[in-house]
Amino acid sequence: MIEGSRSAYKYLWPALALEASFVFAPLVLSIYYSLHKVRYFELGAVVWLGNYLDVLSHPVFLNSLLVTLAFSLTALFFTFVTGFGLALFLNRDGPGNVLLRTVVLIPYVIAMLVGSMLLKWLFSADAGLIAMANAYFRLSIPTILADPTYAMAALVANAIWRDSAFAMIMLMAGLKSISPSLIAAARIDGANQWMIFRRIILPLLKPAMLITMVRLLLHFANVLTFPLILTGGGPNNATDTVALRIFRVGFEDYDLGRANAMAILLCIFNVCAVMLLLAAFRKRKAT
Amino acid sequence: MTFKDLPGNLIRLLISMLIAAVALMPIVWGLLSSFKTPQDILRTVPQWLPNTFTWQNYASIFKAGTGGYIFNSVLVSGGTVAVCLALGSIAGYGLARFEFAGKRAVTVAIIAVMSIPVASLLIPTYTMMAEAGLVNTRTGLILVYSAYQLPIVIWIMATYYQTLPEELEWSALIDGYTRTQTLTKIVLPLAKPALIAATLFVLTFAWNDFVVAVTLLSSDTVRTLPIGIYNFLGFYGREWGPLLAASMVSIVPLVALFVVLQRFFVAGMTGGGVKG
Repeated sequence: MIEGSRSAYKYLWPALALEASFVFAPLVLSIYYSLHKVRYFELGAVVWLGNYLDVLSHPVFLNSLLVTLAFSLTALFFTFVTGFGLALFLNRDGPGNVLLRTVVLIPYVIAMLVGSMLLKWLFSADAGLIAMANAYFRLSIPTILADPTYAMAALVANAIWRDSAFAMIMLMAGLKSISPSLIAAARIDGANQWMIFRRIILPLLKPAMLITMVRLLLHFANVLTFPLILTGGGPNNATDTVALRIFRVGFEDYDLGRANAMAILLCIFNVCAVMLLLAAFRKRKAT
Repeated sequence: MTFKDLPGNLIRLLISMLIAAVALMPIVWGLLSSFKTPQDILRTVPQWLPNTFTWQNYASIFKAGTGGYIFNSVLVSGGTVAVCLALGSIAGYGLARFEFAGKRAVTVAIIAVMSIPVASLLIPTYTMMAEAGLVNTRTGLILVYSAYQLPIVIWIMATYYQTLPEELEWSALIDGYTRTQTLTKIVLPLAKPALIAATLFVLTFAWNDFVVAVTLLSSDTVRTLPIGIYNFLGFYGREWGPLLAASMVSIVPLVALFVVLQRFFVAGMTGGGVKG
């Protein structure tokens, strides 16, 4: 390279300035707010970790932690498995597969708000689908969004429906990076399909799998649109996730002190997950 | 297709059809129902096709101001794409072509911001935007969207620049081009696939975003389309026809764009790596 550090920053500073103002500055300000008592934008007395302790001892917040944990892990499991299945099923580049990949990606590409609203309509009693299924298969599914367990299942279904395609694309990129000659060589050595999958594909796919899982987990732990639109957190707080709680405390109660404290807690979780992600990236580079 | 494969192929076909049905059913049904009358929509025995085909749901949402929401969405999406491409194509070049002190830190910061979900930044951002007086403005929304999408644009651009032969730039520099001229006249024209991928990715985010806009915008004149739809959700309640129509107005242009330019979309999802 001819030029030194100074000329590199000539290219970088506008971008860095934008990130500093709208990502890092808000975080710093948020920490500052979280240490104060705040009511309707009036910065009150410094309470240090008061907001944090307050939030962490509040049963509604603790409930939302459990709900987020249950939702994230269930959604992660099913979305990952579905995405993996799709990736294996659609991996070969035929015209049929390319078409089906496009179809599967459509729920991912459209606005989350619209997707969740369409599902809300399907799950609602108004659409008449549930009544029909009950009559036809002699089931007794209650009004889905009014039953705590079914509402959670609906939320997970929303996640699978939208995000399996994301897992599929990520894992397919991983599959594509495995050299076909390795698999051909194993086949010549007499390995069957299962052995190839178990002994070659799975180990080589590990970094891609880890990256996919962490990115899905980050997404599910933070997603606001699914619960806000589909279930509204109900019934009886059964689907009240942390993201939704933050939204409600911040934008409905305008308690910015507590809301910022919760946001910072969520951010700490995110930073840990991102560090895991970075480690996975580094590992992938190394192999 | 030999006779021996027939059962296997049949099973494959069936699974494919099932996958397509699950993925598309809610959307197709929403589309068909958006042309139904209220009575048809609420039929207890649902049916696929409208009894009487009607545009009344669409007429109703446009009377309720959807035209203005679309205008705002186009404005904000366009502005975000412009800011992201301008800053991202330049910053990506700095990252791809220079060795400098702090490069590692910059790279880590880019990946970190790329991976941090927007939702965890909502309250902090709202707090800051309120202090800065940028709440409830389209400019504020464009700036925030750009800050969220710029890292992925930088990443896509930098990854692509690295695949271009550096010799081209050297010869341009020797011929007396400045660095800036080299970037605008030699490198950027060659980076078209990356620019398209970045544009699509940013455009999709800005067009679709709901959570950032719902926190930053409150007055009707600046509302983007998703916020308009969200308000309809409260306004129309269980009257699904207009809601479904508004949903279709939001997704049909995007799905059309996606189907035509699919391969560019994938690049953004996996974090860079466009094939020319």
